[in-house]
Amino acid sequence: MEAYLIAIAVYALVYLLMGLGLNLHYGFTGLINFGHVGFFAIGAYASCLLTLAGYPMPLGFALALLLPALAAIPIGYLSLRLRSDYLAIVTLGFSEVVRLAIINEKWLTNGVQGVPGIPDVAQGFGLPVSGSVAALIVLLIANALAIALVYRLTRSPFGRAIQAIRDDEEAVRALGKDPGSFKIRVFMIGASLAGLAGAIYGHYITYITPEQFLPLVTFYVWVAIILGGAGKVSGTIVGTLALMTFLEGSRFLRDLLPGVSEVEMASVRLFVIGLALILLVRFRPSGIMGDWTSGGTQR
Amino acid sequence: MTVAYLMNLAVNGAVEGLLVGLLALAVTLVFGVARFPNASAGDVAMVGAYSGWLLQSAIVSLGPLSLVFAGVTAMASAALVSLALYWLVFRALSGRVGVYALIASIGAAFVLRSVVTFFLGHDQQVFAVPLTRALSIGPLRVLPIDLWVGAIALAAMVCVFVILRMTAMGRRMRAIADNPQLAMVSGIPAARTMSGLWLMAGALSGLAGCLLGLKTVIAPEMGWDLLLPAFAATILGSVGNPLGAVIGGVIIGIAQEVSTPFVGFTYKIAIGFVVMLLVLLVRPEGLFVARARVR
Repeated sequence: MEAYLIAIAVYALVYLLMGLGLNLHYGFTGLINFGHVGFFAIGAYASCLLTLAGYPMPLGFALALLLPALAAIPIGYLSLRLRSDYLAIVTLGFSEVVRLAIINEKWLTNGVQGVPGIPDVAQGFGLPVSGSVAALIVLLIANALAIALVYRLTRSPFGRAIQAIRDDEEAVRALGKDPGSFKIRVFMIGASLAGLAGAIYGHYITYITPEQFLPLVTFYVWVAIILGGAGKVSGTIVGTLALMTFLEGSRFLRDLLPGVSEVEMASVRLFVIGLALILLVRFRPSGIMGDWTSGGTQR
Repeated sequence: MTVAYLMNLAVNGAVEGLLVGLLALAVTLVFGVARFPNASAGDVAMVGAYSGWLLQSAIVSLGPLSLVFAGVTAMASAALVSLALYWLVFRALSGRVGVYALIASIGAAFVLRSVVTFFLGHDQQVFAVPLTRALSIGPLRVLPIDLWVGAIALAAMVCVFVILRMTAMGRRMRAIADNPQLAMVSGIPAARTMSGLWLMAGALSGLAGCLLGLKTVIAPEMGWDLLLPAFAATILGSVGNPLGAVIGGVIIGIAQEVSTPFVGFTYKIAIGFVVMLLVLLVRPEGLFVARARVR
């Protein structure tokens, strides 16, 4: 039971870290990123492959922060030139290309067979606890730092600028600020958070395959941040909790419903996530922590 | 690698490209009027393919005629699904930020795929097609089924252009695409026209799915995998331009197939993505008319 609770907490914190990054993109800056799992995957493979090659884990984490940020630069540049729905398609395509590259570049990633035997977090940091407890500790620290970062960032002049870009880009331009540099920096920071989440996830699970980086992961995070309320840190936390309650609850539900196979349960999960996306944008786009006085139509 | 080999790939790619174009046509029609990239189009196509397959496996004793019924079923069921999505989901989102409709269309795609996989599983299925020998035309070797698939796709496209250009319904659709407010005050029945548009887009998607299933296999991910190339074709052919979408589809289909000897089979989908990126960077308004704005 204890091991199970730790597992749930680890997954929740991995999603929370990704969600904090996506919330910077979409919630605070209005950038539609449908390829978040691409950054997550780059971080996971970067850190896991580097530590497997014998380098220390902190270096792997550093690479997991750096590489996704670098990958985000060209996408950030594109976002300057594209309307938001085009950016959505491009980012979705980006994450699919990342997955195709992982499948195809067998010399580096071992293709669909995946990378086994990844050192766990306890080994990597020399902690006298089990791998999952160590992952939990590192995730707690990473999330605390990330939340502090997002709070500080969004209350700084930089944060006011990105929220102004979200609300009215032309006005920001008229005030003499260049939205471009802000958007690129936001893309990089959010991508780094996803990359770090990927790295810790990889070292926790110790075995990564391209199958774990499907677009569905991106939309899990989307459901979490819209459900909680985009543009609010509290929203990401509440939304992630709700998402995890559902994902884990669906496992218990399966035990209660005999005759429903795990494959069928995966369909049910996909159904609920799809329905949640539809119902949220239809009836409550501002989420649980959003403004309740406006009737829920505002973001 | 000979020239004949590449030419065979190009022919194969052209047929596949017509299917991409068929889905892109559905996407571009909706994009032109409802102003959002409809990510559920691919999974509507998948639903069409599965319903056609279900019907065909029930009446397989009819021989090749069963395929005709399968195609009709695929188009009809996909059209109904598409209409239902419009009435239940997209109509209410029409006045709102475009992003909401896009997110909802992703949700709709998941819902459709989950229903199909729940009841029919994840296994690949195939249509019962009579085995035929490839025809030799000069250096080319073409399967008769590919010729059929290509011809039917072309015929469906011609039908769409006739409807858009020569019927009152098509004129209304084009009017709404051009200027919704003006169309409204001119007394065009918006709800009826939009229903017609979504029915047509659904039927096109269903046909695309059914023909793709006929050419390859039927699988839950087939629609989603066809979606990115279709989006690429839509953008390449200028958003809202039906002929452009078809031409864009053929270009991407050929580019995907001819590139396989050089980049490998897995990267096929990536080619469509790369073409799309290049278009967005170099000529974001697409190859044809410059009406749509991309930013």
